[in-house]
Amino acid sequence: MVNLKDIVQKLDLKVVSGDINREVSAGYASDLLSDVIANAQKDNIWITLQTHVNIVAVANLQELAGIILVNGRQPEQATLKKAEQENIPILLTELSTFEIVGKLYELGIHGNKMSSA
Amino acid sequence: MKLIEIKEILEAEVVSGEYDPEIEIEIGCSSDLMSEILAFGKPGSILLTSLMNIQVINTANVADIKAVCFVMGKIPDENIINLAKKNDIIVFITKFTTFESCGRLYKNGLKSCSYLNFEK
Amino acid sequence: MDNNKRTTTKIQELTYELKVKDVMTKDVETVSPKMPVNFLRDVLQNKRISGVPVVNDNEFVGLISIEDFIKCLEQGKMDDLIEDRMTKNIKTLYADEPLVHAVVKFEKFGFGRFPVISRKDKKLVGIITKSDIIKGVLKKLETAYHDEEERRYRASHIFNDIIADEVFLKFQYYVEGKNFDKAGEASTGLKKTLYRLGLSPEIVRRAAISTYEAEINVVAFTDGGIIVAYVEPHQIKIVITDKGPGIPNIENAMKPGFSTAPEWVRELGFGAGMGLPNIKKFADKMTLRSKVGKGTHLEIIVKLSNYRDED
Ligand SMILES: Nc1ncnc2c1ncn2[C@@H]1O[C@H](COP(=O)(O)OP(=O)(O)OP(=O)(O)O)[C@@H](O)[C@H]1O
Ligand SMILES: [Mg+2]
Repeated sequence: MVNLKDIVQKLDLKVVSGDINREVSAGYASDLLSDVIANAQKDNIWITLQTHVNIVAVANLQELAGIILVNGRQPEQATLKKAEQENIPILLTELSTFEIVGKLYELGIHGNKMSSA
Repeated sequence: MKLIEIKEILEAEVVSGEYDPEIEIEIGCSSDLMSEILAFGKPGSILLTSLMNIQVINTANVADIKAVCFVMGKIPDENIINLAKKNDIIVFITKFTTFESCGRLYKNGLKSCSYLNFEK
Repeated sequence: MDNNKRTTTKIQELTYELKVKDVMTKDVETVSPKMPVNFLRDVLQNKRISGVPVVNDNEFVGLISIEDFIKCLEQGKMDDLIEDRMTKNIKTLYADEPLVHAVVKFEKFGFGRFPVISRKDKKLVGIITKSDIIKGVLKKLETAYHDEEERRYRASHIFNDIIADEVFLKFQYYVEGKNFDKAGEASTGLKKTLYRLGLSPEIVRRAAISTYEAEINVVAFTDGGIIVAYVEPHQIKIVITDKGPGIPNIENAMKPGFSTAPEWVRELGFGAGMGLPNIKKFADKMTLRSKVGKGTHLEIIVKLSNYRDED
């Protein structure tokens, strides 16, 4: 487990919603909501470029540790509002998925082990 | 990074037939939304995605992306493989997730597509 | 229909591949400007040609035609010097120009023949007629492709297929609406063709990405449309039209991230709202017009940076 606060500091992420005082188990990167619903796991940090309000619902459902929006994406207004309500951390970065994942990996956050392959 | 190294790092399989293991890939990019790949993907790079349909190959084709890696052990159907072969695109499959795959490649020195400048 | 389309493309490609010198007639009967018109009588009769280049010390100076000859005959001026009766300032072709330039000139000027001169020293090296072009392309097709394919079209089609005048080459594709299995066929087909025409990979990539984005939009948001690509000497113009629902607010649609893509489209990997911004990014010029309930018209221009004016 790595603390989300540490991650935010080390990777210079911009926090726009939620409480970042929580632990991250592993990472999941995907831009397909169905895929995240199927394969993300509890306390994952989710890397995506989707900014739609539905991402909050998905994060809530899967009890994710937070969402990192990549490539300089800004959350939509509705997304932000919902994320505040639900206390889902949304974090922003200018980096691409590939690069931010790489940096998270270097901080010791790995991908989920997929049992069914 | 050579294709063969990528294959080893991702414990991947190449499903698009014969390929030159010495081909150099410098840049990795990952997205499941094709327009994002078209916007930022670089010629000669490798694309990692959990999306699996022929549009991934078409996208790689028009953007001159050299290799595509499908994640989480999903196996592409024949249409996808044939289209890739026809367009000289190398197709990997790995059991790892997108996250794990990107992490491993980055750690081993593959650069990111946003690493270089954004011009046309 | 499909086969026909394919063959057309091959012919068109060949007109870029082949040079004027590959198909022209080399052994050209010439006359000198100081000869009397009367001298033409034998030449025109024996060779059954309708015009003769006039050459002074190998330098091409004009063309004298059967019409010029007949006029002199009528006027009883058969002793006039050829140089006084010939047509000067004749349009010529360079031997190293691609055949497509010749096709365009034939269409534009309606002449029966063009003298061919060498770019270096302006010397006459041959003469080219429409039938030389047709024969040359046919011959090449014969050696380059299977006989069976070659038989599928008639030579006379060549000039119809290659839509000339300002436009050099035209390629047309139909796009089916809502069919993501076929989506991308037009743009990847165009890409291949552009590549074969010898355009630079960077230009081809930009044109291909822009066309692909437009094609996907037609598939995702309309019931189908048409893509027409014009390869001109200095640019590629791609026109995409559909009779779909139209775009209510173009300014919004152009904003990165704006998308009305339904869930099924998103699950296929689209709907980032980056398509139109990408076109803008990769094209040199983009013109988008749309009418709600009528359809959308998108024009993409990619300039050929290595453009070189031939004339
Ligand atoms: N041919 C068209 N007919 C009707 N609407 C269109 C057409 N092209 C684009 N649009 C509208 O413009 C919006 C923006 O288009 P754009 O291509 O930028 O994004 P997208 O297609 O939604 O997502 P992406 O291209 O990133 O997959 C679309 O969501 C759609 O509402
Ligand atoms: Mg689009």
